[in-house]
Amino acid sequence: MIEAYLIHLLIIIGIYIILSTSLNLAIGYTGLLNLGHVAFFGIGAYVSTLLSINTDLPFLVVFILAGLFTSIFGYLLMLATNKLRGDYLALATLGFNFVIYSLFLNWTSLTRGPLGIPGIPKPSIFGFVFQSNLSYLIFVAVIAFLVVGFLHLLLKSSYGKLLEAVRDNELACKVLGKNTFKMKWQAMAVSAFFAGIAGSLYAHYITFIDPSSFSLYEIILILTIVLVGGLATLKGSIAATVIILLIPEVLRFFALPSSILGPARQIIYALLLILILMYRPRGLFGKVDLG
Amino acid sequence: MIVVQLLINGIIAGSIYALVAVGFSLIYATNRFVHFAHGAFVTVSAYLIYTFFTLWGLNFYFSALLTIIVAGFLGWLVYKLVYMPLKKRKASNAVLLVASVGILILLENLMLLIFGADVKSVGFIQIRKGIEVLGGIITPLQIVIVVLVIILLLILWFFMKKSRLGKTMRAVADNPNLANIIGINAKRVCYLSFIIGTALAGIAGILVALEQNIEPIMGTGLMIKGFTGAIIGGVTSVPGSILGSYLLGLVENFGIWFLPSGYKDAIAFVLLFLFLLFKPTGILGLRGKYKEQKL
Repeated sequence: MIEAYLIHLLIIIGIYIILSTSLNLAIGYTGLLNLGHVAFFGIGAYVSTLLSINTDLPFLVVFILAGLFTSIFGYLLMLATNKLRGDYLALATLGFNFVIYSLFLNWTSLTRGPLGIPGIPKPSIFGFVFQSNLSYLIFVAVIAFLVVGFLHLLLKSSYGKLLEAVRDNELACKVLGKNTFKMKWQAMAVSAFFAGIAGSLYAHYITFIDPSSFSLYEIILILTIVLVGGLATLKGSIAATVIILLIPEVLRFFALPSSILGPARQIIYALLLILILMYRPRGLFGKVDLG
Repeated sequence: MIVVQLLINGIIAGSIYALVAVGFSLIYATNRFVHFAHGAFVTVSAYLIYTFFTLWGLNFYFSALLTIIVAGFLGWLVYKLVYMPLKKRKASNAVLLVASVGILILLENLMLLIFGADVKSVGFIQIRKGIEVLGGIITPLQIVIVVLVIILLLILWFFMKKSRLGKTMRAVADNPNLANIIGINAKRVCYLSFIIGTALAGIAGILVALEQNIEPIMGTGLMIKGFTGAIIGGVTSVPGSILGSYLLGLVENFGIWFLPSGYKDAIAFVLLFLFLLFKPTGILGLRGKYKEQKL
């Protein structure tokens, strides 16, 4: 019993590590305050779900397609918001999130709206079906490891340094002849790709998705993780994911009804977000300020 | 006549949005940050009037007055506890925006925790059969709301144009540094406009509570609308944000001619998106004078 609960927690942590490190790529390293990350997460989840239910494509193909499809949205979002910075960009991307959310909710012929889509198949790779949660945990862990490894190498490379240069002074980069728009959309597309595959992992784990999993509240959770961990640090995001996801689990030991548990979790996250901004704006290991 | 009905619905929606938008716009003009939690104060006020009037059985007008005062006080408290320390630290606008989204979620969930997820209704005025106007239907309550909002907006306009405090506010909005130099206490003006803005959210909350059921999560939707209205009209301009709000109310009500009504929020945000990209100063916003006056 306690084992199953631990495995569940670890799977969720794995998925959120992918989400938070990929968001940190956009916010922390590239300086794009993207509040639409949850929309990417949702697009990945819906695309993966719809493809695996309506087509015979093997899971790995569906998985990659979910990521690629989402990264197209990342490109389009950046294309639309290229001129915006700081709080403008935050608002526009928040808007993107609401638009995608209302599409999930209202495009009922495709998404079944608020009813959600049940019966999403467990993934299978080369004939092996990830039926047990333990096997799924290993799968998620491998993917999370690959994502973090990729991001680590990318951000250590000269390309990663260029992204940070775009964050620190976009104009100077332009003067030096760099195509900053290209760097920004590439960063956003990579970030979206990983959010998309995280969505796919989530959908095939829970085997049911509905729009409420991708609402404003989810943004607060991921944003809190990234800010608590600190900007421009993968280590911080990983540590913060574990801490932030474990904190509300303490509430479970008080045997509270779910009508209290839900809001209490959100209150904890929101308070944490406000307090970290006020008293420790660089989080655990952050290198730069939000702005 | 569906056109008349949509027009009426648009004007009613626009009135509520305008009330949310002017408060937001007043706060933005002097303080220069996006107070996204403004919508949550509308929700909190709706629950306040529900508590005072429906639960405690106080006189309605006294409850309304109390709600407005408490809302203003809560606004002051949030400003003092969260925004002021952040501003002192010279935090960027992005930080203030993220903090305000945090406050929004915090307040919404507090309401959810205290009052539960089921909808509440104030029940001050019984819902009566609507009156037919040129083929459209409007309830007496809705007429009261529209008239009340228009009167309030006129008072506000008069206050901003003629009163000393209003003029000072416009001076700070126009150029905070210059205002400081000529001896205006810009900090005090910022506080005051925050309190007045939140009190306006309190009034909006009361009207919303009369017109529809109260839900903990309604603030976000209202905030999106009020905010979009403010941006469309020009966020630093109070008349602009009124104009933008009515425009938004009309556009989204006529929009559901083509789209399912669930897309109302999406229409608002597409509009917001377009204005942010192509005309960030809005329709009546100040242009070109100071760069930071965009948005």
